[in-house]
Formats: sequence, structure tokens, C-alpha cells
Amino acid sequence: MNNLVSAENVSRRFPLDHSEVYALDKANLRVSAGEFLAISGPSGSGKSTLLNLMGCIDKPTSGRIVLDGQDTTNLNATGTAALRRKKIGFVFQTFNLIPVFTAGENVEYPLLVNGVSESERREKVAAALESVGLSARAKHRPDLLSGGERQRVAVARAIVHRPALVLADEPTANLDTQNATQLIDLMRELNRSLGLTFIFSTHDQRLLEHTPRIVRLCDGHIVSDSHVGAPTGFERLMEGEFHEQVSAAGVS
Amino acid sequence: MSKFLLLAFRNVFRNRRRTIMTLLMVSGGVAALLLAGGHFASMTQGLRESTIRNGLGHIQIFTAEHFRRDEVRVLDTGIDNWRQVAATVSSAEHVRGVAPRIEFYGMVSNGQKSSVYMGNAVDPDAERGLGFATHLVSGHDLDAKQSADVEALIGTGLAKSMNVKVGDGLTLLAVTSDGALNGIDVQIEGIVETGVADLDARYLRIPLDAAQRLLQTDRVTNLVVGLDETANTDRVYDELAPRLNGLRQRMEIRKWIDLATYYKQVRNLLNGIFLFMGVIVFFMVLMSSINTLLMSMFERTREIGTMLAMGTSHLWIIALFVTEAALLGLLGAGIGVAGGDLIGALFNALKLSLPPPPGYTVGILFHVQHVPGIMIGASILVIASLVLASIFPAVRASRLRIVEALAHV
Repeated sequence: MNNLVSAENVSRRFPLDHSEVYALDKANLRVSAGEFLAISGPSGSGKSTLLNLMGCIDKPTSGRIVLDGQDTTNLNATGTAALRRKKIGFVFQTFNLIPVFTAGENVEYPLLVNGVSESERREKVAAALESVGLSARAKHRPDLLSGGERQRVAVARAIVHRPALVLADEPTANLDTQNATQLIDLMRELNRSLGLTFIFSTHDQRLLEHTPRIVRLCDGHIVSDSHVGAPTGFERLMEGEFHEQVSAAGVS
Repeated sequence: MSKFLLLAFRNVFRNRRRTIMTLLMVSGGVAALLLAGGHFASMTQGLRESTIRNGLGHIQIFTAEHFRRDEVRVLDTGIDNWRQVAATVSSAEHVRGVAPRIEFYGMVSNGQKSSVYMGNAVDPDAERGLGFATHLVSGHDLDAKQSADVEALIGTGLAKSMNVKVGDGLTLLAVTSDGALNGIDVQIEGIVETGVADLDARYLRIPLDAAQRLLQTDRVTNLVVGLDETANTDRVYDELAPRLNGLRQRMEIRKWIDLATYYKQVRNLLNGIFLFMGVIVFFMVLMSSINTLLMSMFERTREIGTMLAMGTSHLWIIALFVTEAALLGLLGAGIGVAGGDLIGALFNALKLSLPPPPGYTVGILFHVQHVPGIMIGASILVIASLVLASIFPAVRASRLRIVEALAHV
């Protein structure tokens, strides 16, 4: 099994004035490439903390996070920035688009910081916007887009550089039902068609209904890890690899 | 335009009201420096040219012993073969003419009152040829033609203290070259104003031949050389030095700048004031910009957190803030230069005049020169100030904790 990201005995403790609180306590989780995984739980259960740790924007108090075979625990700021730049895409609850950039320029940004050439950037941005159905909105600034469109731009920005992992923190929390459903379908489709790994935190039941694997958190502990539903992008990927191996072995 | 510069440029205009306020402050500072610096440059240049035209000339030639002379027997160290020296100097390129002078001191009396004078004997034709003009309040300038009476010009202050006017007679007393006391009668042909009150109280000018008779000598104190342009002073100075070698008396050449003590004092004072103004503008822009740029950073905390989360390097964030500040400085400097030049041109057209400075009797025209060096210098000053002001917010932004920045509201 192709293990993309794993949290091994990970704890995150936050000091308070006279005490401390464990947002995450000895959590263990393995996510394989191509999975579509939801982290669910009530507010304060540690969903965002786990996502932040897997996204290398926070450091665990103990335990370790391994991403694509690399132990991120001892990486310095430059190292984690490079890792995030290359291997992770983020979708935020409040979209977090750069307001002075157009939709196209926002999608272009990860390629810009990755030092991709202008011609290649142009092609990839067009493809990413096409994949989220916003080619016609490329020249619009975020303030001229609807909430659903903004979040789709954020998804395009997260996938444009083909990261190994896309992390989405409550991506539908600020969307109405119609836009939320569209976004879920879009993310699922990208997971299936591009084989991208999606991990998102949510307590949105609409989103969970479309999710083949749900990890439930409560008070910083993983209380359940359930696989349901149809084959995931990962499974399809594995299936494809299996067929390729069989073909390579000359078995029909 | 690269996307990085585009981002920086658009960020500058993100909060238009704040940007306009900052631009007003920066451009105001630049315009103030341009106006003050341009006026100081105009004053300095005016003083330089008037100093030269009022008789200092571009170059003066003395004997080497002149600067160790006795103040009473001034001509002991004078130039004896001055006509030969003048001819040698006159043949040099860029030299418009040479005027012999005698500086002398003595007593002046009208039979009722006496006073001390500072005498200045000149060849009127040579002076006029070089364009050295005296500012006559009444009467007329010295005439070269021989007349029975010796003509004299005196300063307004001396005329007042002696209670004399044009047409009145005076007796001059001075110590001759061999130490005897001698005197001649002169007639006042004109009353002049030098512009310096202290000098007006002692000023007296008579023709060279009359002074030589009074002092019983053929010598002159110095030769004043006038050039076609002030800018040629160094070139002519270098050319004259070898020409004057080998004469019986050892000569010393002085450039106008070495003799214009007052000019140098004024120039240094104005330079000091301008430098002080520059320091004030620098710190004014620095302190107010730090606040503005910090506010901008706080407002964009979540956005910076997002950029950092996407793997943007710390250096990129720092460079972005510094570039935004530099662009703001560049825009402010551009507006300041244009505005300063426009206001300067307006002042020049209005021909405003300022009251005379201390010790002066003549007012100053408020004229603003357009000096490219000041425009460039003032622009660099405000840009540097803004860039310096941006470093603290930039470093602070680059060091934001991503999780906290993303949670910022």
C-alpha cells in the first residue's frame, strides 16, 4: 500500500495561562495516495490541528508526521516551506484568495513561488480553471465572484501544481447547500480523475455522505476510522497499477 | 511586468486613502527639499557671481610675501613690475582682462570730523572692462580722465558718519611706502552701497594713480583677473602658475573661492541648514511610514499566512513589503519633484522678495533653481527612508506563525 502521509503517535499541546490543553493526543493515522478522506468531529475535537500538522504549518509537541516518505518533524522553516510549496495544496474555509489578484493570478500563485516558467504557468492555470469550470472568470477579481466561485478558484489554486496532498479545512462551511454540493462533487471528481489525495476537515453531513473514508475525532482522540462506499481514486489508482503490473507480466 | 511587481504595485493602491496620505507626506517632503535646496542654490550662485562681479574677480595675483605684510605699510610687499605681470596674464586663454588694485588704510577728514577708511585704488577703465560695478546711491562712478581734482567714491555709512555728500571735499591721510605721513585732497563723486553695512562704514575708492601719489609708490597690491566664465577658473589657474614662474618677485595666485570667506561661510551655513532639513524629512517619512506599513501588515495578516502556507519563502515576503515601500517612495518622489518644480516655477514667476539678511542692506529675490542633483538626492532620500521603514514590518510579516496568521480576523 502506497502510504502518502502518516501521523505517528502525534500529540499537540497548547499552553494556557495556568494549565495546558491537548488539542490532539497520541493520534495515529495513515493516509494512502489517492484517498478521499474526511476528518470529522465536533468543534474543538482537534480536526484543524491534525490538518495543520499534516500540512506542515504546525509542529507536533510529540510524535512525528511523515509525508511522502519524509519525516517532517525535524525540518527547519525553509525545509517545511519547500515541502509545502511542492507537495501540498490548501483550501481554506474563508477561501483566502489574494484580493488584488484576479482568479487566474490567484491560481497562478503556487506556480509562481515554485519558479515555473511563464508559458507553463499559462497552460497549467488554464487547465486548472477549466477543471473547476471557471475559465470565463479568469480575469475577475475575487470580490466580483460568488462564494462558490471563490472556493472553486481556491480549489484550482490548490491543485494547479499537482501536489501530492490537498488539505481542505472546512471547505463548505461558508457555502450554501447548492454551492457546497457542487464543491463536494468537484473535489470528488478531481480525486477520481487526477488521482489527487484529498484530506478535509468537516462536520458537514452533506460532505460526509460523499466520503469513502471518515476519521472521527473527539477531544483530541481518533475514535473511529471507517471505510464506506464506492472505490476511491486511490483504489482506482491501485487498480490501474495492478492492471499495468499484470500487463507488464504478460498476463491477459 | 512580473507578477511579483504587479502584486507589489496593486498592494500599494489597496487602501487608497492611506496611500494618498503617505504620498502627500512623501511628496511634500521632497517638494520642501526641492524648494529650499533650489532657493539655497540660487542664493549661493547669486552670492558667488555678485562676489566675483563686485570686484573679487575670478583670480587674484599677489606677491608671495603679501600674506605676511605689515597692515600699515601695505605696499612694501606690493608688485613692482605689475604691468609686465598683467601682460603675461592677459595673454592666457579665457582671460577677459586684468585690473591692478591697491588696498590701503588711513584717516579721512573734512576739517570738522575724521574717520578711518579702508581704501581701494583702481584703474576705472580696467574695472569697467571687467564688468566690476559699484552700486551707486548717488553721484557717478570714477572717471579715468585726468582732472584737477582727485575723484573719490565713499560708502553710505562713511558719508553719513562724516556728514558729507557728492561734491564735497575730503582729505585723505596715509603712510607712504617709506614710512612718512602723506595726504591728498579728493572730491566726492559718488556714494556707494556695497551691500555689507560694516564695509559701507569704511569704504573709500580712488583712482590708482592718485593712490600711488598718496603712497609714493609705483607698486600695486594685487592684480585682479576676470575670466569669461567662472567655470574656467581652475583651468586658467593651472595655466597661469607656470607662466608666473621665473619673475623677479615670487608670485602667488589665489582663486576667488580662496578669497571669498564670506561666500564660503554663507554656503556652509546654507548647506548645513539643507542637510538638517534633509535629516528632518528622512525621519519624518521614516516614523510615519513605519506606522502605515505596520497597519498594512496587520490588515494582511491572514493573506500573508496563506502565502506562507503555500510555501512562499520568508525572503519573498520581505522583498514584497520592501518593494511596495520602494514603489510608494518612487511615486511620492515623482509627485514631489513635479510639484516642487511647479511651485518653484510659480514662485519665480511671482518674483517674491525676502528681507535683507543680517549685515546686509539689500533684499533677496526668492528664486528657486531647478537643480537635478537635489531632485535625485531628495528622491533617493525618501525612497531610502521608506525602504528602511518597511524592514521592520516586512521581517515581522515573514516571521508570522502560519496557524495564528490564518486564524487572524
